[in-house]
Amino acid sequence: MKLKHLILSVLFIGFCTSVNAQWKKNKANEDTKIWRYDLECEGIAKQGSKLVKVWSYSKNPKHAVSSGMKNAVHGIIFKGFAGGKQGCTQFRALVSDPAMEEKHKAFFDSFFADGGDYLRYVSSATDGSIAAGDRLKISKREYKIGIVVNVLTDQLRKLLESKGIVKGLNSGF
Amino acid sequence: MKLHKSFTLIIFTLFCLISFGQAKKPTLMVVPSDVWCNQNGYMLEFDNQGSTIKIPDYKRAFQENPEVLQVISQINGMMAERGFPLKNMESAIKTLESNAVEDNLRSSKDSGASINESPIDAIKKAAKADIIIQLTWTVNKTGPKKSINFNLQGLDAYTDKQVATASGTGAPSFSAETPVLLSEAVIAHMDNFTLSLQEHFDDMFENGREIIVRIQTWDDWDGDLETEFGGEDELGFVIEDWLADNTVKGRFSTTDMTETMALFEQVRIPLYNDKGRAIDARRFVRELSKYLKAAPFSIPNKLVMKGLGRATIILGSK
Repeated sequence: MKLKHLILSVLFIGFCTSVNAQWKKNKANEDTKIWRYDLECEGIAKQGSKLVKVWSYSKNPKHAVSSGMKNAVHGIIFKGFAGGKQGCTQFRALVSDPAMEEKHKAFFDSFFADGGDYLRYVSSATDGSIAAGDRLKISKREYKIGIVVNVLTDQLRKLLESKGIVKGLNSGF
Repeated sequence: MKLHKSFTLIIFTLFCLISFGQAKKPTLMVVPSDVWCNQNGYMLEFDNQGSTIKIPDYKRAFQENPEVLQVISQINGMMAERGFPLKNMESAIKTLESNAVEDNLRSSKDSGASINESPIDAIKKAAKADIIIQLTWTVNKTGPKKSINFNLQGLDAYTDKQVATASGTGAPSFSAETPVLLSEAVIAHMDNFTLSLQEHFDDMFENGREIIVRIQTWDDWDGDLETEFGGEDELGFVIEDWLADNTVKGRFSTTDMTETMALFEQVRIPLYNDKGRAIDARRFVRELSKYLKAAPFSIPNKLVMKGLGRATIILGSK
C-alpha cells in the first residue's frame, strides 16, 4: 500500500514537472508570438552581419533570454533598427512589405519554430552572461532583458531571395 | 529526326525566353569624387586663356593612394556578392590606353589603311558607366581622436539624377588606423546604398527607364521645328504627341523647345518592345526616327546615342 502511494506520488510529481516545463515553453512562445521586443545596434560587426542588442519582455527573465535570438532574427527581417551610437547607421528591414509575413506564413512558421532554421543565422556575441544594466524590472511582474547577438544578414537576405520573399539587386536584369 | 527537331525547337524557345526576358543591365563604376581628388592633391591644372581649370587625375590617384584602392575593392566585392559586379575604373583606364596604342599601330594587311576614327569617336573614348558611384571621404581629427565622414552617391550618367545614396560619420576612435575606420564605414553604409539602388530599380521596372531625348537640326536643313506638315500641327507638337503615345503612362517633360532644338527630360520608356526584346534609349528613339523619315514628314535624320539613357535625333540629313 505504501509502495503504491510512493509510485503514485513520483508519477504525479513527474507529470507536474512535465506540465510545468511545457507551460513555461508555451509562455515563452506566447511572449515571442506577439513579437514584443526592441532592437538596437550595438556596433559595426564583420562584413555580412549585424551586431544587435535585442530587448525582450517577459514575466520570467529566462523566457526573455531564450526568445532573444528569435526576436533578433525577426527584427532584422521585419523591423530594422535606427542608427545611433558606435558609428551605427540606420538599417532598414530586409522585408519592406509587412504583408509578406502573412503571405509566406508557412515558411515563417517553420523558420521560427522552436529549434527552427533561424538558429543558423544568429549567434550569441557574449559568453551568455547578461550585464546588470541589461536586466531591467520594468513593472511588478515583468522584466526587460537585453542580449547582444550577431545576425548573419547577408546569408539571411540570400535565403529570402531564394524563397522569392525579397528581390535581389540583379533580379530582372 | 522528328524528335531531334522538337528538341532543338524547345532549346531555341527557352534561349529566347531567357535572353529576351531580361532588361538591359546598367553598368556601375566607383569613381573618386572631384572633392576627394582636390583635397588629396590628385588634380591636373590647365591654363585656359587666363583662367585655371582643374580636372581630376584618376590615374595618379589609383597609382599612389592605397586607401582608394581598398575602399573601391571592398565596395566592388560587396556589390559582386549581391550579384551586381561593378566596372573597375582603374582597369577601364588601362584598357582604354592599351586599345589606343593597338589602334595606332594597327594597319590593314592588304591596303595599309589605318583604323578610322572621327573626332567624336576620340572624345567618346573615356571610362564610362551608366551609373557612377561617386565616392568621398574625409578624415576628421580632433586631437588624437579620428573619425571618418563617408559619402556614396549613385548618379545616373544620363539624367544627372542621384538615384542612390548613403552618407554619415563613423564613431570616433583614439586608436584605430584610417584603413580600419574606412573599412567600417563601407560596411556600415553599403546596405543602405544597395537598398536605395534597389528602390531605383524597382521604380524603373514599374514606371519604365528614365531617359533624355534631344532633337537638333543641321544648319543646312531648310525646315525647323515650327514647320507645319500637310496641314498637321507644328513638328515640335508632332514629336510631343509621338512621345505621349509611346512613353510609359505618357510620361515626359518638355524642358526646352525652340525652332532649332528640343530637349525632353524624364522620358519614361518601356523596358521591352512589342517583341519582348529589351530596349534602351537608342532602340526607343529609332522608332521616332523612322516615324519622321516616313510620309507625310519625310525628314531624313541622324540618330546618335550615348549609353543606355540618352539619344539625339539630328534632323535634315544623315
